[in-house]
Amino acid sequence: MEQFYAIGLFLFVLFVLLGSGVWIGLALLGVAYFGMEIFTSRPTGDAMMTVMWRSASSWSLTALPMFIWMGEILYRTRLSEDMFKGLAPWMARLPGGLMHTNIAGCTVFAAVSGSSAATLTTVGKMTIPELRKRRYPERMVIGTLAGAATLGLLIPPSLTLIVYGVSINESITKLFMAGIIPGLILSALFMCYVVAVSQLSKSYNPAPEPHMAFREKVRQSRFLIPVFTLILLVIGSMYAGVATATEAAAIGVIGSLILALWQGSLTRQAFFETLMGAARTSAMIAFILAGAAFLSLAMGFTGLPRGLAQVIAAMELSRFELLMVLMVFYIVLGCFLDGISIVVLTIAIVEPMIRQAGIDIIWFGIFVVLVVEMAQITPPIGFNLFVLQGMTGHDMGYIARAAFPMFLIMVLMVFILIAFPELATWLPANMRAAG
Amino acid sequence: MSALCLLAILVVITLQVLARWSGIAFPGSSEYAGYLMAAASFLAFAHTLNRAAHIRVNLLLSVLGERRFWGELWCLVIACAASTYLAWFAVRAVYWSWKLHDVSQGQDATPLWIAQAPMAVGAVILAICFLDNLVTLITTGRDNIRLDLAEQSRAE
Repeated sequence: MEQFYAIGLFLFVLFVLLGSGVWIGLALLGVAYFGMEIFTSRPTGDAMMTVMWRSASSWSLTALPMFIWMGEILYRTRLSEDMFKGLAPWMARLPGGLMHTNIAGCTVFAAVSGSSAATLTTVGKMTIPELRKRRYPERMVIGTLAGAATLGLLIPPSLTLIVYGVSINESITKLFMAGIIPGLILSALFMCYVVAVSQLSKSYNPAPEPHMAFREKVRQSRFLIPVFTLILLVIGSMYAGVATATEAAAIGVIGSLILALWQGSLTRQAFFETLMGAARTSAMIAFILAGAAFLSLAMGFTGLPRGLAQVIAAMELSRFELLMVLMVFYIVLGCFLDGISIVVLTIAIVEPMIRQAGIDIIWFGIFVVLVVEMAQITPPIGFNLFVLQGMTGHDMGYIARAAFPMFLIMVLMVFILIAFPELATWLPANMRAAG
Repeated sequence: MSALCLLAILVVITLQVLARWSGIAFPGSSEYAGYLMAAASFLAFAHTLNRAAHIRVNLLLSVLGERRFWGELWCLVIACAASTYLAWFAVRAVYWSWKLHDVSQGQDATPLWIAQAPMAVGAVILAICFLDNLVTLITTGRDNIRLDLAEQSRAE
């Protein structure tokens, strides 16, 4: 019983610190300190430094700043204009028209960017004005953009998957490969939705595109060469097993630097801005990870994860029921926390549960990213909504309503993923691992 | 500083890839990249804080409105305590590594205190930065932390 109170107190401190707005990394550190003090007699401070050092200096973590840096560089290049020019001719004839550039653009950019907000801003800064000019329904423009940008985290590279992989000590390359097919399917679902709406809705009558000969279309596609080369370099080198995730990231950085130099968009000052931006973002994530590493140590001493796993096992939930419970749990958490914090915070508790239920840990990574991504487009705090608010000037409620159909499509995707787990597990099982 | 570390990480990883492809051994490259990663993170903590790129749950703070000052005060006091604690033990860890001549377990056999020193420096700067913010908040009613949404959202 005493144990029970102690755990309650522990969780209470966790919620108070996080909820009151203490910086997440430090809040985790504080809770962990508290937990260590009540549950063990081990020297807290030294144990803290050991795990923090191990977490901060981990080799697989170095993929993080590299991918962030790559995104920072690409954001400053003309990549998004080029992508629009290259993709638009092919999309113009589809039912739904250029609206598809939103989704295709996000899908393509997601393959070189690890973050959904970066995908959103990079693609949106081009497509929003272009689509508005052609009188596409505003609500659809915003909704599809918010939804499709979440592909940034599902399609590799993905910051959330790196964080997940580092937290559970799994191969990041495998996780990346696992995300590809579900990401493409989700993107196809979004496109189907656009087709359906364009056929059914009366207000959907944008300015038609001028006819373009096939040869001209192919000629326009040359604008896609740089981005596809990058994708091939980064994902290809991982899939073929010639590079680890970190090395692929470094290749990507060099590739995008060359691209930026070639386009002449990389001034000395811009170069330093990209570096500082990447340093800040990766420091932010590393801080949370370091705090979380200490917290999971403390969590282990509380016995909470094991206890909870036993409780869940005793409830004899079916695998499907367990996943449904977790999905609701994650969506609720997602209303208050960002994706990366959710992953690091819950993984120590959820991992034993998952292993006990016999769920594939790689597959679960994709599941988590999907549900966490849903949180990205739901109020009160969905980062994509904030970003879109800044970009379009619409209020939060409007954007959230516009994005809601995408949320439902993502729920559908979760069910598809549960029904056909091979979608996520087939590629990682069939690739060559880098030595 | 931390930007230089990132640059160095890129160089180390590139060298590692080139070395493997050309069959030359580059022992300890993963460890070096790891140390640089730790250095890059810790040295950037304080800078990240002042640019408001460290994330936090803003919900309650924004509800507080007029009384936001007290919320910020509470957060900064907690943060000062926690970061000072961190800084103290980071310095201690480096001191003991130095005193005991701890050497890395990896192929590189770097003395650990050299690898860990940037971590301690970064932790101390972070603690000072929090104290500075606390003092500024109390004396002027507003801390030095300036939010830039585009900045913060880049990680998601």
